[in-house]
Amino acid sequence: MSDALLFAPEIALIFTGLLLFFCPVFETSYRTSWLLALLGGALSLALACWTLGLSGEPFSPGIYRVDAFSQFAKVALALGYLLVIAISHSPQTLNKNAWLEFPMLLLFATLGTMMMVSATELLTLYIAMELAAYPLYIAVALHRSPESSGESSTKYMLQGMMASAVSLYGMSFLYGIFGSTYFSEFARQLTAAAGQPLLWVGVVLLLAGFLFKLGSFPFHFWAPDTYQTAPHEVVTYLATVSKVAAIALLCRLVSLLSDAQMPEVLMWVSIAAMTLGNFAALVQKDFKRLLGYSAVAHAGYVLLGIQTGAILGFSSALFYALGYLMMSFACFLVVCELGRDSDYVSIESLKGLHRRSPLLAATLMVGLFGLIGLPPTVGFIGKWFLFSAALEQGQFGLVLVAAINSVVALYYYLLVLRAAYLEDAPDAAIVHLGPFIKLTALVSMAIVVALGTFPGPFWDMAAKAAKALG
Amino acid sequence: MSLLSYILLVPLITLGILLLLPASAARAIRWLCALSGLVACALSLELFFAYDSAAGSIQFEEIIPWVQGVGISYHVGVDGFSTVLILLNSLVYFTGVLTMWDLENRVKEYFAFMVLLVIGVYGVFMSLDLFFLFFFYEIAVVPMYPLILIWGSGNKDYAAMKLMVFLLAGSALLFPGLLAIYHEAGLHSFDMVALAAHSFDPQFQVFCYPFIYLGFGVLAGMFPFHGWSPTGHVAAPSAVSMLHAGVLMKLGAFGVLAVGMRLLPVGATYWAPTFSVLAAIGIIYGAFVAMRQSDFKFVIGFSSVSHMGVVLLGLNLATLGKGGADALNGAVFQMFAHGVMTALFFSTVGFVYDRAHSKTLADFGGLGSQMPRAVSLFIVAGLCGAGLPGLASFWPELLVFMAALNTYPIIGVAIIGGLVLTAVYILRVFALAFYGPPNPRWDGLREQDMRGFQLLPRAILVAVLLFFGFFPNAMLNAINQTTVALLGRF
Repeated sequence: MSDALLFAPEIALIFTGLLLFFCPVFETSYRTSWLLALLGGALSLALACWTLGLSGEPFSPGIYRVDAFSQFAKVALALGYLLVIAISHSPQTLNKNAWLEFPMLLLFATLGTMMMVSATELLTLYIAMELAAYPLYIAVALHRSPESSGESSTKYMLQGMMASAVSLYGMSFLYGIFGSTYFSEFARQLTAAAGQPLLWVGVVLLLAGFLFKLGSFPFHFWAPDTYQTAPHEVVTYLATVSKVAAIALLCRLVSLLSDAQMPEVLMWVSIAAMTLGNFAALVQKDFKRLLGYSAVAHAGYVLLGIQTGAILGFSSALFYALGYLMMSFACFLVVCELGRDSDYVSIESLKGLHRRSPLLAATLMVGLFGLIGLPPTVGFIGKWFLFSAALEQGQFGLVLVAAINSVVALYYYLLVLRAAYLEDAPDAAIVHLGPFIKLTALVSMAIVVALGTFPGPFWDMAAKAAKALG
Repeated sequence: MSLLSYILLVPLITLGILLLLPASAARAIRWLCALSGLVACALSLELFFAYDSAAGSIQFEEIIPWVQGVGISYHVGVDGFSTVLILLNSLVYFTGVLTMWDLENRVKEYFAFMVLLVIGVYGVFMSLDLFFLFFFYEIAVVPMYPLILIWGSGNKDYAAMKLMVFLLAGSALLFPGLLAIYHEAGLHSFDMVALAAHSFDPQFQVFCYPFIYLGFGVLAGMFPFHGWSPTGHVAAPSAVSMLHAGVLMKLGAFGVLAVGMRLLPVGATYWAPTFSVLAAIGIIYGAFVAMRQSDFKFVIGFSSVSHMGVVLLGLNLATLGKGGADALNGAVFQMFAHGVMTALFFSTVGFVYDRAHSKTLADFGGLGSQMPRAVSLFIVAGLCGAGLPGLASFWPELLVFMAALNTYPIIGVAIIGGLVLTAVYILRVFALAFYGPPNPRWDGLREQDMRGFQLLPRAILVAVLLFFGFFPNAMLNAINQTTVALLGRF
C-alpha cells in the first residue's frame, strides 16, 4: 500500500489548509473560506472511511502507524470537524476580524489530533499534541467582546501549557527508563521496567496532558469557564473533536501499559471526575457552563472503560467517544443557533423552544437524552458497554457509583428540557433555521438514534480498533 | 417474522407515520392511533388464542443477532405470563387513545410519546434478551416525564421529576445487577434462555437478587419506594395514568418475575421472607393512606400501592413452597385484573375531571344523580378493587390470600384485614362523592354525562373485568403451565 494513501485523510487537510492560508491574503468572502473548509472536511472524512480497513506505517516505520484504531479515531475526528464547520456558517460570537482565519485554525487543530492518534513515538506525539493545541489557544481567545475572551482564554492557555509541560516532563522519565522514544521499544522492555516506581511517575505525569484535553479531574478547571465564555463554535469543537482525540490517546497509552499492572489512579480519577462534574452541574444557570460540567462527568464515565486496561474497556471507550461526539454536538448545535446574537446561553433563554423552533427543541431533547443515557439514543448503549467493561473486571461497586451518578445527572438535564418544553416565553421570537442547519440537525439526530438502535457495525469497528491497540 | 414482531411493529410504524404528519392534523392523528390500537388488540387476541397454554413453554420465538461481539441479540418470545400482559397492554393502549379523544393541546406530541411508551411496554413483555429488556424498560419509563410535565395537572412539576428520579434510581440498581448476571455466567450472551439454563452460584444469587428486586420493585410501587407513584398518578393526564398504573407498574413486577425469579431462584427464595413482609406492609399501608385522601386520584394512587403489594406478595410467596403455584397464578392474574381495573378508574375519573375540573371528593357530594353513567362505571371499578366476586380481582386476591395463610398465617390474617380496609376506603369515596346530597354546582354536568362513543372504551374494560370475574379459568388455564414450569426451578 502506498504511503500516500495511508496518509490521505491528513493530506486532504493539509492541502485544504494551504488553500485556506490564501483566503485572508486575498480577502475572500467568509463564505468561500467556509465552503473550502467544509469541502476539505468532507474529503478527509471520505478518505478516512475509505482507509478504515488499511494498515501500515507510512514514511518511517515505528513513528507513525495507520491501523484500525487510528482510522476509527480519524473518522470520528473528521466527522466532528465537518459538523463543527457545518454549523459555523455565521459565527456571530467570533471577532469579525478573525472570521477568515477561523476555519483554518480548526482545520489545523484537527490535523494535529489526527496525527496524535497515529503517533507511536513520543516526540511525534508531543509535536502533534502541540499542533492540535496552539490553534485552539488562539481560537478560544477570538470572542467578539474582549472581556469575555480574556478570562477563559487565559485559563485555557495557561492550564493547557502547564499540562503540556507536565506531560513533556513525564515523557522525559519514560525516555530515561527505556532509553528510547519508540512505543514498540516500551512494549518490549515493559516487563523488566514494571517494577520501577519511576515508570509510574512518568506515566502519571504524561497522563496530565491527556486528562487536560479530556477535561477530566484534576485538570478540569478550565472547562466550565471556557465553555461558558468562549465563542460557541469553538466550544463546540472543544466539546466534540478534542474529546475524541483525548479518549483515543488515553486508550493508546493505557493499552501500552496493560501488561504491567496499572495502578488504580485512573479509577479514582474516574470516580472523582463524574461525581464532581455531576454535583457541580446541579446548580448551574448557564447552559454552556452546565455542559462544561457535564463534560467533566462524561470524562469520568469514559475513564471507567479505559481504566480497565482490557480490550472490552477500550472498545467501549472508543464507541462512547463516537457517541459522545454526536450527543454533545446535538446539544451545541442548539447553543450555536440559539446564541447567534448573545454571548451567553442561559437555561432561561431556552424557554418556549418547542414553539420557537420544534426542530431545535427535538435536537436538544435527543442530545440530552443521550447525555442522560436513555434509549433509544447511543448514550444508553454506550453506558451499557462502559459499565459492562468495568464489571468484567469485577468492579461492581464502581459501576454502582457510576449508575448512581447518572441519576444525579438526570436532574439537571431534565431541568433544561423542562425549560425547552414546558415553560413558555411569549415574547421570545421564533428561531428561523436555514435549510443547511435543518439538515445538519436532522442528520445528527438520526446518527444519535441510529448508533443507539443499530450499534452492531459501529461496535464491531470499535472492537476492531481496540484489538489493533493490543 | 413472528407474530410478536408484528405486534411490536404496529406501534412502531404508527410512530413513524405520526412523526411525518403535520401537527395540525389532529383528527388524522387520533384516528391513526385508534386504528393502531385496534390492530394491536386484534393481534394480541390472536396471540392469546394461538399460544399453546398446555405446553407452557416459550413460543413464537424469533432471534436476530444484534451486537454479536458482546452477545446481544434481538430475541423475542412469550410464555403464558407475557401473552396475558401483552393483551393487557393492547387493551389499555386502545382504550387509552379513545379516552384522550378530546385532547386539543399539542396532540401530535402527546400521541407520539404515548405510542413510544406503548412500544417500550410491548418490548419488555416479549424480550428474552437482558439488554433489550432493559432497553425497552427505559423506553417505557422516559416518556412519562414529558407526558406528565406538559399535559398533566396540579403539582405536575414536582410529580414528574420525582417519578423520573425514583425510576431511574431503580435503574441505577438494575444496571450493575443485570451486567453482573451476564459476567457471572461467563456465557458472553445476554440471552435469557441461555442464562436460565446456567445455574448461578448461590452466594452470587443472594448478593445480586436484591439489586434486581429493588430495581424493578420501584416501578412496581413496592413499599417503601412507592412515593413517586401516587403523586405521579395524580398529576398525569387520564390516559397516561391508565398506562402508568395499568401497565407500567406491571413492568416492575414482570421484571422481578422474568429476571429475578427465573434467573436467580436461590436468591429469590433467600430474600422472600423479607420482601414478603415489605409487600404485606405495602398492602395495609396503602389501604390506610387511601382512607384519608380527599382527592379521587390520590385514593386510586394509594390503592394501586396496596394492590400491587398483592402482586409482589404473591411473587415472593411463590418461592416458598406451600401453595406456591396458587400464589404465582394469583400474582399474574392480579397484574392483569389490576391493570384493567385501574384503567377503568382513571378513564372515568379523567372524564369527570375534564368536565368538572375538580378531583376533590367532598366537592361532589351527590354526583351519582348528576352523572349516573360515569359514576356507575367508577363504582364497577371500585367494587372490583374491593374484591367483589364476579369481578376479575376477586380470584387473584383469593389465591394470594390463601397462599399467604398457608405460608405465613400472621401475614395472611393481616392482609385480609387490609381487604376490609379496601372496602372501607372505596365505600367512603362512594358515600362522599356519589350518594350524598347533590351539589347544585354540578347541575350543569347532567347534560355532559358519558354517551355513545365515550362509553365504548369504558364498556370494553368493564366487559373484560366481568368476563374474567365469571370465567377465571380462561386466565388460569393460560398461565398455569408457565407457573408450573417456573416453579420447577425452585
